[in-house]
Amino acid sequence: MLTLLKLLQSLFKTLHSEGTPGQVAAGIVLGAGIGLTPLLSAHNLVLFAAIVLLNVSFGGGMLGMALFTPLGFVLDPVFDRIGLALLNAPGLRVLWTGWYNIPLLPYTNFNNSVTLGSLVFWLVATVPLYFLAKWAIARYRATYGQRVMNSKFMKGLKASTVYNIYSWFRPE
Amino acid sequence: MSQKRFRIFRWKAVGPLLLFFVILVVLWILFADRIARKQAESNLSETLGTEVDIASLRIRETDAAVDIGGLAIADPRDRMRNLFEAGTITVDVDPVPLAEKKIVIDQVRLSGLRFLTGRKTPARPADPNSPAGKLLSETRQWAKDKFQFPKLALSRIDTVKSLVLNPEQLGTVKAAKTLLGKVDSTRTAFEQGLAALQLKPLVDSSTALASQLAKTDPKTLGLAGVKNTITSVQQAIDRIKQAKGRLLTLEQTAKSSLGELQKGLQDVNAARLKDYGFARGLLQLPSFDAPDIGASLFGEQSTDYFQQALYYAKIAQKYVPPGLQPWNRPGPKRTRLAGTTVEFPKEKEYPRFLLRQGDIDLATGSADQNTFKASFAGITSQPALLGRPATLVASGRLGGDSPVSIDLSALSRHFGSSPKDSLQARVAGVSLPAIPFPGLPFSVNPGKSTMGFGFSLAGDRLAGSWEINSNQASWTADSTRLQSASLVESTVWRVISGLSELQVRAELGGTIDSPTIKVRSNLDDAIAARLKALVGEELGKAEQKARAAVDQLVNQQVAALQTKVDELQSQALARLPVERSQLDGVQQQLETQLKRLAGSATGGLKLPKL
Repeated sequence: MLTLLKLLQSLFKTLHSEGTPGQVAAGIVLGAGIGLTPLLSAHNLVLFAAIVLLNVSFGGGMLGMALFTPLGFVLDPVFDRIGLALLNAPGLRVLWTGWYNIPLLPYTNFNNSVTLGSLVFWLVATVPLYFLAKWAIARYRATYGQRVMNSKFMKGLKASTVYNIYSWFRPE
Repeated sequence: MSQKRFRIFRWKAVGPLLLFFVILVVLWILFADRIARKQAESNLSETLGTEVDIASLRIRETDAAVDIGGLAIADPRDRMRNLFEAGTITVDVDPVPLAEKKIVIDQVRLSGLRFLTGRKTPARPADPNSPAGKLLSETRQWAKDKFQFPKLALSRIDTVKSLVLNPEQLGTVKAAKTLLGKVDSTRTAFEQGLAALQLKPLVDSSTALASQLAKTDPKTLGLAGVKNTITSVQQAIDRIKQAKGRLLTLEQTAKSSLGELQKGLQDVNAARLKDYGFARGLLQLPSFDAPDIGASLFGEQSTDYFQQALYYAKIAQKYVPPGLQPWNRPGPKRTRLAGTTVEFPKEKEYPRFLLRQGDIDLATGSADQNTFKASFAGITSQPALLGRPATLVASGRLGGDSPVSIDLSALSRHFGSSPKDSLQARVAGVSLPAIPFPGLPFSVNPGKSTMGFGFSLAGDRLAGSWEINSNQASWTADSTRLQSASLVESTVWRVISGLSELQVRAELGGTIDSPTIKVRSNLDDAIAARLKALVGEELGKAEQKARAAVDQLVNQQVAALQTKVDELQSQALARLPVERSQLDGVQQQLETQLKRLAGSATGGLKLPKL
């Protein structure tokens, strides 16, 4: 419950005031990477570290993860096809064979069709997703933002005292 | 107003991030053993197609070793039994390949082994959709489809009178219907082919030309007229020759088709023989030939052993592919779609899994009781990288008062032109479980026996043998069923119950698609002789009736078919020579006229070459 509350707080804070739309969009893009690809993969540690260390919106990252995890489940069959096509492509065999025998790289599970397919899908989607998210957040803030901030729900949420930790990751 | 400088990094988050990683490490230390144990159980269960339990697993990171306790592998065919149990297993891992997510085991030591032990709770069956589950059902189906042994159902000889056959069940009827269609289509094709030659108009026009020329005096035609007439005659002769060529082709086609029809008749006769067998099967008539008796009594038991061996050989072939091609295997089990994980083996690199050397030490009992040693080596997921076969060698003696001696060797070579998996085992002094006789109220308890088993799968070629030798065999009968047993069953019981020797040998051969099995036992001749003397005459009558029941349904159809084929053959073969002789006759007439025309022409006229 606490986690959910925290997530909601971060989400609304993110959408309303924390960071520029660009920072929030970058956070969403990185979070989408974690959400779209299978969670227990080494590259997700890198993505998580990037969300934490880079000056992007942490809430945006969480929002991206929350939004894209269900989408990842839905798109798994597509990822499987993309990944398998890439892994079985004769022209790429030398590349994969090289990677497969490089220390630590196999822990990324790049040789799994769903992992590779989802990662490639995410990489291709990053640029359009960034601009789309940036535009959507700016538009939201200019239109519905103030009304939502003044709602009873939002006031109740703000009164909660459990989101102090979250402020550590607030964009500067 | 100065604008705040944008910074890329959030340095104050480094602390929490490090804390997060520390928490991950602590969680790993706390739960790694449990996770690894669960993962190992899951992977082994999926690979072997049966429940695998591991009581404890401890990773010793500093020693690069793993201690496993209480390994139990359930029998996929008997859920209340473990095939194999190991008290402790110590695994020494080479740490360097772990960086490439590859497991190379320098040495593994097993102790406290037990085989074929009972389970307290039934094992979970294999997921029927898993690769191993599919292989298990495939091999079961294979045994069911490929091996059917005659049943010694001895009490039903007198049921012959109730035999009712459905024509639709008979292969002869189906074969006859198919062939009948072929006869009709052959006839139609032949007649159409003959009509397409249009021989009659050709013969008529050529005959008319020859008659007209015979009445014509060449001198009245003049030089140009003779020349034109000769050309016309030559053209007519050419047309006749072409027609004869086409007639020859038609004749060859007809002969080939008729040959096919004759072969079809042979197939119908072969189907009739099968139908006799089918009718016999409906009557459940026993076969009293000695080889059939061996197969009836021990065929299913033999198949059972060979089927298990084939299952494990196929598992090995599935998970240990030959060559260095990329290899697709199912991805890890998880909430998300598992997908496909592709291995990319490379020469001079480590395989994904390698067990360099393993030793088995049976540490139970006192040292002089157990002199058993076993070792295995070269077990790998990519044998082409290792370049040598996986081997298992075991020999020794177990137990005190009634020792069991074991000699075992196995080889798995999955590189080169054709993979081969083979196993040879000989166990002496082992108490074998009772073997029931299918369809009969008896079973044999071989007692302390010597059992030999051999199996090999090379490509798709099978070879195997299974034998039991015992001089302590005892026999058990279902007393209730024995009281109501037929005379024949009672006779068999009297023959076998007095024997204490049991010798059985089964031999497997052929290919996976066409396997062969021969089963012989020392009971065969004794039972066959007694039964033939007792019920041979009655059995002969029953067989005659089974054949008559088939003949009654198919005789008319087969005879009609035979007549149709014969008619077509005689018509075709009779008609073609007539057509050919007509063409020959008219050709001869035209050639006579041609010569006459040429001979009557004046000198100096250069005639076309005939």
